Amino acid sequence: MEARKRLNSRAFADDAAEEMVTSRSFWADARLRFFRNRMAVFSLFMLFCLFLFALFGHLLAQWNYEEIDWSVLGKVKTEGGPSLSNGHYFGVDELGRDLYARVVQGTRTSLLVGFVAGPAAVILGAILGALSGYFGGRLDQTVLGFYTIWISIPYIIFFVVWQAFFGRSLGQMILVIILVNWTAGLLIVRGQVMMLKNREFVDAARLLGMSDMAIIFKHLMPNILWVIVIYTSLVIPEVIMAESLVSFLGVGIQEPNTSWGALISEGARTMTFGTTWQLMFPAMFFVIAQVSLFYIGDGLRDALDPKER
Amino acid sequence: MLNYTLRRLFTVIPILLVLIIFSFYLMRLAPGGPFTSERPLPAAVMANVLERYGLDEPLHVQLWTYIKNIVFHFDFGPSFSQKDRTVNDVIAQGFPVTLTYGFWSAVFVLVCGVPLGVIAALRHNSFWDYTMTGLAIFSQIFPNFVLAPLMVLLFTLSWGLLPGGGWNGGQWQYVIMPAVALGTSYMAGVARLTRGSMLEVLGSPFIRTARAKGLPERTIIIRHALKPALLPTLTYMGPVFVYMITGSVFIDVFFSTGGIGQDFIDGAYSRDYSILLGLAILYSVLTFTLTLLLDLLYAWIDPKVRSNM
Repeated sequence: MEARKRLNSRAFADDAAEEMVTSRSFWADARLRFFRNRMAVFSLFMLFCLFLFALFGHLLAQWNYEEIDWSVLGKVKTEGGPSLSNGHYFGVDELGRDLYARVVQGTRTSLLVGFVAGPAAVILGAILGALSGYFGGRLDQTVLGFYTIWISIPYIIFFVVWQAFFGRSLGQMILVIILVNWTAGLLIVRGQVMMLKNREFVDAARLLGMSDMAIIFKHLMPNILWVIVIYTSLVIPEVIMAESLVSFLGVGIQEPNTSWGALISEGARTMTFGTTWQLMFPAMFFVIAQVSLFYIGDGLRDALDPKER
Repeated sequence: MLNYTLRRLFTVIPILLVLIIFSFYLMRLAPGGPFTSERPLPAAVMANVLERYGLDEPLHVQLWTYIKNIVFHFDFGPSFSQKDRTVNDVIAQGFPVTLTYGFWSAVFVLVCGVPLGVIAALRHNSFWDYTMTGLAIFSQIFPNFVLAPLMVLLFTLSWGLLPGGGWNGGQWQYVIMPAVALGTSYMAGVARLTRGSMLEVLGSPFIRTARAKGLPERTIIIRHALKPALLPTLTYMGPVFVYMITGSVFIDVFFSTGGIGQDFIDGAYSRDYSILLGLAILYSVLTFTLTLLLDLLYAWIDPKVRSNM
């Protein structure tokens, strides 16, 4: 009786309401932890700047990326360097095109590939992992067998063969990157699903008559979202690196489009003529992106992984 | 142990078959071929050329001939784009080069990576530790295609210490930069991993026992701590080999060493089916062999694994 009186009292209701306000969800908690990590926040800011650069950088450019500046062509080494007076902030490339505009274009491509293909690959792997973990049996064995074969093939083989025979458009590039990287995150999602599928809330959902697919996507996936987020943050820089590597080798992004890798490759080819800025500017952007993504991934792992707490 | 080795070898065969069949059909079904050019050959000439290389037969017959030739004659067929050279010639010429600097690169990874990691662990939270960790992050961010041009810029163009490319019969000056450029990021990975596992081992009870017995510190580290601490490093070396093979394609192209990577990329450009397929098989066999050797080495070191075989 006494207890009921207490539960019905106004003060208790206020306390409870207070608690509701202050108690934090898992994600709010993680956000707080992430924003306490200074390096990660700074990296996030840098990445944001890169995105702004990719989206709006061309507004600052004095030249179009296709235009050839005939006044410096042929004397690129002496007059093509970075200068504010003729509007080539980063200098010009081998063909007399404005390097600043080219870098904006390359940043756009590289970030697009990274942030489309990376998450897509992880999601594909996560879905396969969840299905094989949930259903087990024959499906599980097939997926795992495929996984084992897949990770033992050097990806460059697949990449080169595919690009050589199906053309080298941006869409193909994204597609092949997804195909190469689908294994990322598969095993861990599978493990998590296997662990969670015997828990009570899954039984309850099943008793309520939910289908297997609804259980996987409505009840299990939200619980392993943190794994997917962490793996996405790890895969994106890898994807950008892979794209840059194949573009460097000349089997990736094709002219007139360009990417960081393609620009670095041009710069590396021409640096013997003394035009080092053609290497330095694209390389700088590439490194800034990689450093930022590395620290963001680090911060996300610290914020989300229960083991790290 | 022998049983295990044989079983592993037998699983490789179906994997290789799948790989061959898959790449074979992928290549042949894609539009274009080694003899399509901007100025098409006269029909009669084309027919003769196709007949000469056996390309006029149905696909499954071609596939069967191809596999038969490999199995019974160890013959990977003629190159379509380079006249008078067979794929066997290409491999015989290029592979020793790739293998040489690949070997030295692996030596570099282990000989530098392991001691760095051990030192960092022994001087935990000291200047050396932080330098090492910083170095590791640094070299993970600088992938070989950014590192290699920078190295050439410094060592060749600025200081003139080392040749910036070529092979020259494998003189040591020509081997250093390819080997280091290929290995740096993995060296950092090995160092980081060794540091972590070494720290873990050094905190375990049997090391305390060894200390309590009054063993000299050097004996403790070399005889007791190093062996268990190196196990994670060994597992890491498997994927490292796979990625090094990927990286070697880049090194071959960038340093013009004359290794098989250059032929692989050229083959992709000229749609040279036989070279692409032959080299893809070679790369995969190499990967499988290295992984198997590594697993055997692992079993030899770790009795727990050995008893499971």
